[in-house]
Amino acid sequence: MSKHVLTGIAVSTGIAIGKAFFMNRRLYGHIPRQSIALDLVDSERKRLETSLAQAAQELESVRDKVPPELREHATIIDSHLTMLRDPKLLNAAAAYIESMHINAEWALLKAVRDMEKVFSAIDDPYIRDRIQDVRLVADRVQSKLMGLATGIRAIEGRVILMAHDLAPSDTAGLDVSKIMAFTTTQGGKTSHTGIMARSLQIPAIVGVGDLEKKVDDGQFVIIDAIQGRIIVDPDEEEITRYTELKEGFEDYQSAIIKNCHLPAETIDGYRVKILANIELFDEVAAVVDHGGEGIGLYRTEFSYMNREALPTEDELVDEYRDLASIMAPQKVVFRTLDLGSDKKTLQIADLEESNPALGLRSIRFCLQNQEIFKTQLRAVLRASVVGDCALMYPMISGLKELRQANRILAQCRLELKREGKEFNPDLPVGIMIELPSAVMIAELLAREVDFFSIGTNDLIQYSLGIDRTNVHVSYLYQPLHPAVVRSIKHVVDAAHRAGIEVSLCGEVASDPFCVPILLGMQVDSLSMNPHAIPGIKRIIRQTTMDECNELLRQVVGSRTVTKINRLVRDTIFRRFPDELAFYSSMLDVDEV
Amino acid sequence: MAADQGLETDIITADVRVRNELGLHARPAAKLAQTAQRFEADIVLAVNEQEVDAKSILDVLTLAAPGGSSLCIRASGVDARQAVDSLLDMFRNRFGEDK
Repeated sequence: MSKHVLTGIAVSTGIAIGKAFFMNRRLYGHIPRQSIALDLVDSERKRLETSLAQAAQELESVRDKVPPELREHATIIDSHLTMLRDPKLLNAAAAYIESMHINAEWALLKAVRDMEKVFSAIDDPYIRDRIQDVRLVADRVQSKLMGLATGIRAIEGRVILMAHDLAPSDTAGLDVSKIMAFTTTQGGKTSHTGIMARSLQIPAIVGVGDLEKKVDDGQFVIIDAIQGRIIVDPDEEEITRYTELKEGFEDYQSAIIKNCHLPAETIDGYRVKILANIELFDEVAAVVDHGGEGIGLYRTEFSYMNREALPTEDELVDEYRDLASIMAPQKVVFRTLDLGSDKKTLQIADLEESNPALGLRSIRFCLQNQEIFKTQLRAVLRASVVGDCALMYPMISGLKELRQANRILAQCRLELKREGKEFNPDLPVGIMIELPSAVMIAELLAREVDFFSIGTNDLIQYSLGIDRTNVHVSYLYQPLHPAVVRSIKHVVDAAHRAGIEVSLCGEVASDPFCVPILLGMQVDSLSMNPHAIPGIKRIIRQTTMDECNELLRQVVGSRTVTKINRLVRDTIFRRFPDELAFYSSMLDVDEV
Repeated sequence: MAADQGLETDIITADVRVRNELGLHARPAAKLAQTAQRFEADIVLAVNEQEVDAKSILDVLTLAAPGGSSLCIRASGVDARQAVDSLLDMFRNRFGEDK
C-alpha cells in the first residue's frame, strides 16, 4: 500500500512515528482467498492444525485467569474450547484445503459457512444462536492464521498499538513502556481509551473507521494526535517534518507543564479561573497535576452506567464527599444526571425516540423520574458539608423547569432535616445555559440562580441546528458563528448585570483561538479537559486584556463566520506562531 | 457381563430421555462432548434416522434435542460400556443443571 492518510478523533495529544501492531481486529469481510500449490497442501493443513492448537492454548490461559466470581464466564470459555477441539470443524476445513487447494483461512471460512447453514435450520432459537459462538471461535483461529492477535507480550520493541476497540480489560495487562500510541476503529471523544491514554500521556486517535482495512500489521505509520491524522507509509519528507514537530511538541509539553501551577493571569493583571471537566473520579489526579483550580463540571453519569442496580444514596454520598474533600478548598460543581436515550443506563428503558437530542433527556428525564433525581440531590446536599460544592442542572429551557427542580431540592432539604442528616443548606445552585431559549431569557434566569455555566457544545448544536457527528452537516458546526458569539456574550453580560458568576465549559473553552475572545467577554472561569489546562494557561499568561478586547470588538463587528474565522486565525497565529503548531482548533481555518 | 469387556467389536446401546428443560443446549452439549472425548469408543447419538458424533459439540448442538425428547446412545470400542454408563449418568443428573 502506498502512502495514504486516515482521519479520526485525537483524544490524547502528541505525535508518534513507528510500526503498527494490531492487538485485535474484527475479521468479518476481509479474509483473503488464495490458491495453493499441490505440494503445499499438507503444510497448509498443518498450519490450520497449529493455529487451532494455539487458539485453544490461548483460550485456556484466558480461562485460567477468570476470577472465581465470574464462574459463568469460565463455563462459556469451556464450551468455546470444546468447539475449538471439535474434530468436525478441523476436518471440514481440512477437507476444503485438500479438495480445493485453498488457503487455511478461506477453508475455515467455508467450513463456518457450512455450519451456518446447518444451524439456521434449527428451530430452537437459543441453540440456533450458538452459531455466534462458532463464529467467535473461528475468529480466534483466523487471527492466529493471519498472525494478528499475538498477545501483547509478543511485542518486539516499541509499537503503535492498533485495535478494533480497547476494553479496560484489554489495556489492564499492557506493558505501556512498549506502546508509543493507541489507535482504534471504534470510540469517541469520551471513550475510555482516551481517558487512559491521556493519563498515561500517550498519543491516541480513536474512531478511525477504516483502520483495519487500510493499515497492515507491521506497516510504518505516523500518528498525528494533534490534528487526528494517521499517515500510512509516509515518505522521507513527511518523516522529517513530523520528527521535528514531535521534538518541538515534547519540549513544549515539558515547558508548559513546569509552569502549569501559575495562575491564568494576563500580562495586565486580569485573572480567570481555570477549572476542569471530569467524568471519572480517577481523573482528579490529572486535574491537580495540570494546575486545575477546581472542578467546573463533574459529569455524574458514570456511576449510573454499566451496572445492574442504580447507585444508592450512601454510595453517591461517599463518592461525592471524597471528591469534594480531595479538591478542597477548591470548588467542585456537580452536574445532575445528564442521561438520555443517547447515554443510557441499564435500568432506563429504551425509548423509541426518533430524535433523542430533542427527546426525554437530562433535566427532563430527572423531572419525570423524581425518585432517581431525589437520590442524587440528597447525596449532593449531604456531601457538600465538606469542601466547596455547587449543584448544577443541565439543559434548563426556562423558569418553569428551574423552579420545578428547585422545589424538589427544597423537599430534599426538608426531608434531610427531618431525618436529622447533616447537609449544607446554602449549597449554591446554578444552571447550564445550552439551549437558545435559555440564552434569550438569561436575564430572567440569572435572578433565580447562583451561577451560570455555558455549555457550548450543545449550545452550538441547538443554535445552529447542527448535529456535529453527522458528517453531512458537520462543516456547519461553527463555534464562532456570529449567532454563537452573540449568544455567549449576551449570557455573560446578563450574568454580570445580575451579579452572578459565569463559567464556560465545552470545547470552545480549551480552543486557543477562542479563548482570547472569551477573555474579552470577561468570563469568570473556563472549564476544560484537565490535559488542556497547561497550554491554555500559558496562552492566557502571554496576552493582554487590551488585545482581547480589541479582538472581541472586531469579532462582534463582523457579519459572517468566514470573516470571523479569518480574523481570529490571522490575529492569533500572528501572536503565537510557534505554539499553534501544537494545537488543533475547531475553527475551520482553511476555509476561504 | 464381565466376559464382554475388552472385546473390540462390542456395541452397547441405551435409550435415554433429555431431562433438561431447555434440551441439549450449549452447556449440556459441551459437557456431553467433553465426557465423550474421554473414551476411546466411537459414540453416536441417534434421533430417528439422524445420527451424530457425541464427541463433537457442533454435532450435538445441531441435533437440537428438545427437553423431554428421547434419543439413543450407541457406543462401540474397548470402553464402550463405561462410556455409555457415564453418559447415562450425565443425562440423569441433567448435566449438572438445575432444570
